[in-house]
Amino acid sequence: MSTAATHALDIAGLNAGYGRFDVIRDIALRVGKGEAVGLLGPNGAGKTTVLRSVMGLIRQRRGTIRVAGTDVVAMAPFRIARGLAAMAPEGRRLFLDQTVEDNLLLGGLHLRRDAARQERLLASVYELFPVLKGYRRRLSAALSGGEQQMVAIGRMLMSDPEIMLLDEPSVALSPVAVDIVVRALIELRKRGASILLVEQRIDVATRVCDRLYIMTHGEVVEEMTPDTARGAGMSLINKYLG
Amino acid sequence: MVAMNPARTGPAAEPASHRRALAGLVVVIAYLVLTWFVAQASLSVQSVILVAAVFAVLAISLDLVAGMLGLYSLGQGGFFGIGAYMTTILSSRYGWDVFLLLPAVLAVTGLAGAIVGAMSLRVSGLYFAITTFIVTLVLTVLETNLEITGGLQGLLGPAFPDLPEALAPLGAPVAWCIMLALLFCIGLVWNIRRSALYPVLLSIRDAEPFAEAAGARTALIKVGVFSLSAAMAGGAGWLFSFLGVVSPGQFDWSVSLNVLVMVLVGGINTTLGPIVGAMFVSMFPVLVNINPWLQEILYGALSIAAIALLPEGVIGLGRRLFLGRRGIAAPVAHGDAPPPEAVAAGDPSIEQVDAAKAPAAPRASGEVVLECRGIECGYGLGPKVLKGVDLAVRRGEIHGLIGPNGSGKSTLANVIAGRLGPSAGTVTVRGQRVNGLPPSSRARMGLRRTFQAAELVRELTTTQNVTVGLYDRVPGIVRRAALWPMLPSGRRDGAMMRGRARDALGAVGAAGWTGERVGDVPHGIEQLTQLAAVCIAGPDILILDEPATGLSAREVAHLARILADLRRQGVTMVIIEHQTRFLFPLCDQVTVLNLGEVILTGTADEVRANPTVRQVYLGE
Amino acid sequence: MLQFVASGIAIGCVYGMIGMALAITFYVTRIINFAQGQLMMVTVMVTAEVTGLGYSAWLGVVAGLACSCIIGVLSYLIAVRPILAFNRFGFGWLVSTLGFAVMVENGAAWLWGPTSIPFPTILNNTSVHFGEAAVLTGQQILAIATALIAAVVFEVVRKRTLFGKIGMATAADPEMASAFGVNTTTVAIVAFAASALLAGLAGVMIGPSTFANPYLGDTFGTYGFIAMMIGGGTERPVAALYGGILLGLSAEGANALINSRASDWFPFLVLALILVVSPRGLFSSQSPLMRRRVAAAAR
Repeated sequence: MSTAATHALDIAGLNAGYGRFDVIRDIALRVGKGEAVGLLGPNGAGKTTVLRSVMGLIRQRRGTIRVAGTDVVAMAPFRIARGLAAMAPEGRRLFLDQTVEDNLLLGGLHLRRDAARQERLLASVYELFPVLKGYRRRLSAALSGGEQQMVAIGRMLMSDPEIMLLDEPSVALSPVAVDIVVRALIELRKRGASILLVEQRIDVATRVCDRLYIMTHGEVVEEMTPDTARGAGMSLINKYLG
Repeated sequence: MVAMNPARTGPAAEPASHRRALAGLVVVIAYLVLTWFVAQASLSVQSVILVAAVFAVLAISLDLVAGMLGLYSLGQGGFFGIGAYMTTILSSRYGWDVFLLLPAVLAVTGLAGAIVGAMSLRVSGLYFAITTFIVTLVLTVLETNLEITGGLQGLLGPAFPDLPEALAPLGAPVAWCIMLALLFCIGLVWNIRRSALYPVLLSIRDAEPFAEAAGARTALIKVGVFSLSAAMAGGAGWLFSFLGVVSPGQFDWSVSLNVLVMVLVGGINTTLGPIVGAMFVSMFPVLVNINPWLQEILYGALSIAAIALLPEGVIGLGRRLFLGRRGIAAPVAHGDAPPPEAVAAGDPSIEQVDAAKAPAAPRASGEVVLECRGIECGYGLGPKVLKGVDLAVRRGEIHGLIGPNGSGKSTLANVIAGRLGPSAGTVTVRGQRVNGLPPSSRARMGLRRTFQAAELVRELTTTQNVTVGLYDRVPGIVRRAALWPMLPSGRRDGAMMRGRARDALGAVGAAGWTGERVGDVPHGIEQLTQLAAVCIAGPDILILDEPATGLSAREVAHLARILADLRRQGVTMVIIEHQTRFLFPLCDQVTVLNLGEVILTGTADEVRANPTVRQVYLGE
Repeated sequence: MLQFVASGIAIGCVYGMIGMALAITFYVTRIINFAQGQLMMVTVMVTAEVTGLGYSAWLGVVAGLACSCIIGVLSYLIAVRPILAFNRFGFGWLVSTLGFAVMVENGAAWLWGPTSIPFPTILNNTSVHFGEAAVLTGQQILAIATALIAAVVFEVVRKRTLFGKIGMATAADPEMASAFGVNTTTVAIVAFAASALLAGLAGVMIGPSTFANPYLGDTFGTYGFIAMMIGGGTERPVAALYGGILLGLSAEGANALINSRASDWFPFLVLALILVVSPRGLFSSQSPLMRRRVAAAAR
């Protein structure tokens, strides 16, 4: 088996941005199959830009982005979304005028002809977040922040992607809700999901991830284990995150 | 330094301004010669040119609001019609003198514009276009159905009065009148583009919060400029009435849209674009003399092609061809240039402008100058983002505001600056309750702020953006805008503002970027430009929303020195920041927010030692 | 009294269908297709032409609707997509869709000449009496039925089918929709085809009384636009139908109660008044009329 195929996500030499200046430069990072990897860094470091580049939402991108061996750097987002990558974006961005279950079903569009698989995925989402099952007919706009985040993660799961991209799922959530989200991510990792998690909170990242990358100023500057990060504690915050 | 500014720009500026005045004179004389030829031309040629000139006035009037303020008005056809009908009816039916009618027409259409503007500012963007479109629609219906307007056939416009016998050799007087009116409008807009108001207008268009935070009453300015634009369109109607029959079809919504075609095809927000566009659109049927339907089809195809292929219009294309692609060679060296060591954060001359508002106070011992009490705030139907937040900042202190993303820090900044109204609680500035005051009024009280995502005009240079910060510090920017480059005081103030903006940029460490457009600078420089734009105004209280985001380590260190310097000058600051290593050494007090509530207010050491804070950040 | 109400509803349904057609494309792409009236005209002209050649009226209608759909999709590909690709928030589409309208209208005038040609009567010669008070032609009843069916079908598709949900998702957040596998171009093409079909149907309903004329599109496009605006169709396409009915009622009402020419100006007065009160339309979520209901629904 080639090395490329053993990685869920393999980014090399990635530059991406909007105007004349690239926001991220020469990014290289890997997420193995079944691995959970954290991407930490201060606001403005370019973490979200990395996720958006993988998803194809930034046109101006150069380098290689391989998802399970397929180079997606020239692909349109709606093709990347068909089983390769899926994201739970910053700010959740649910389809607020639709029900919880519709949001989930829209997550797995490319599986619409495979009802059995979709049914299984839906069941697994409700198993992960039992509270959503009771809300399935409710408008997603009527949910609390934590519940919306669960829908966003569930929507991501519905496409059964090779790599899951999560952008700060802990933002603006109460400690209880953060805990539910973290437990869900740990459960996903146990089920063998490959995860790239952008976080600002070290505690969330260290609990979920096998490996951490630190980004500042559009570059990946360090790679460490969760234990090192935990050990570094406040000094890591002082050094990079604030 | 105040005395030095003109001295430094003086010797270089004088010959340049003489050259510019001379060039202007040559252009004006050439234009008058052209007018002379038009006035002598045969009637058919003359009418083609004069119709084009009237439409050019109309296109300029649209470009004024669409180009500089981003208000795509489809009401120009309606105002045009008001002007033409008012002139025709009052002069031929009631015998008013046409020259007396001109000011009346300008006043009526200007007032109509102000009313429509004030009403449709409730909605923005597309809905503004739709509302003005409907104004035109309703006016056309009135013109068609009223008795006095002569229905679909319309009315014959008044004849233009003859010149005195002595001036007869000049040719057709109506030609002189229309061409001079066009020259006047070109000059007016040209002046505004070179005035200190121009960057303010563009910032209202692209970055309204920034303009408001600089003290601009943006709604009032929008209504005012729209009123001017409507008066200009009404004036075009006055001119048009001398060219023959006035009928509803000449002022309907398709005219409004055609005016937009002129502006977009010629090049929006350029001086010559609307004129080129007007010539293209109004002369097209004359020049392309084929089957009328085929001609219309060709016109439709050309306008689609122009929009799709020349998004910046003909003038934009020409600029790119002749001037080359500016700034392709990126000034890479700038980022590495060390910031000047001698930091005078904020020009010392600021104190002269605003001495009363920024007294040199002893640090951190004074009275409470900024206080929030029991602030509650939420967006829409969602949960509250701020829950009973209290914050008190003493004169001359730096107050840090930290907390995880989503904890409500920026929301609190917006409440203090006036962009968001709290659902409960009060904000007081120097003991005065400011609830309900708009951001611009708070800016005038000396309260300035920066934004987390820089709000700036990307097509202007950093220097021009920084001059916006002086908006409420230099008197008469709006009043003098129409004549700005012709007034000695305008030229002097313009040079002074640019000079001070360059100095302010230098002081914050962006000296190498003063001539670059904001769209072409890296994120860190945008942050510094924002900072320069607030420092230049000599603020009393500063709210900085993540000023260190995107800055390199060296720039962060420099920023810390600037902020320390500002405090020494007595500026009170609230700084939202994540980088505690940068923030804590600066702060007298730190407030920690989490999930919309204040966890703790204390010194940096107390915050560092607090277990709850460690838990919020580290989950310990 | 009842007569003007009945005929007002009938003509209002035609305006409403064009308004809905405008609103559907607006819903998905956030642009107003100024060629919408011309798409209606295409159906009318082609139907008249095919029938004039001796084929059955129904074949003509099908051919006309098909042509409208094709030209509707072309209007997206030529006049909308290239412009949005450059700047999604600019106003270039105002000019390009108008340019497209000019091309279609003058193309038709060139092909068929500027005068009216006969249109098949369909149900225009049958009449239905509602007691003493009102008489409607079969065609008018057909128009009302078609509009109601179209509105119901649209709502069912939007709310109950996967395609409708994809459309709603694309309308709400195109970027997220594409990040979950939606080809937004396909959605837009379908929306333009559907809206051309709806405009074409409106043309079939009104054709027997107006005859086929290349300049029909101007008037009916404007009325459709007004229907959308007073209804608030920019937020909910179905509201355009209510707006259309209101417009039809005010036009017929003005004719019946003021004088025979009042329909030329009275509806515009209604339009201006409604937009002063509620700039986004009478049945939009921001209108004073609807605000309480929206708040109640959220609770």
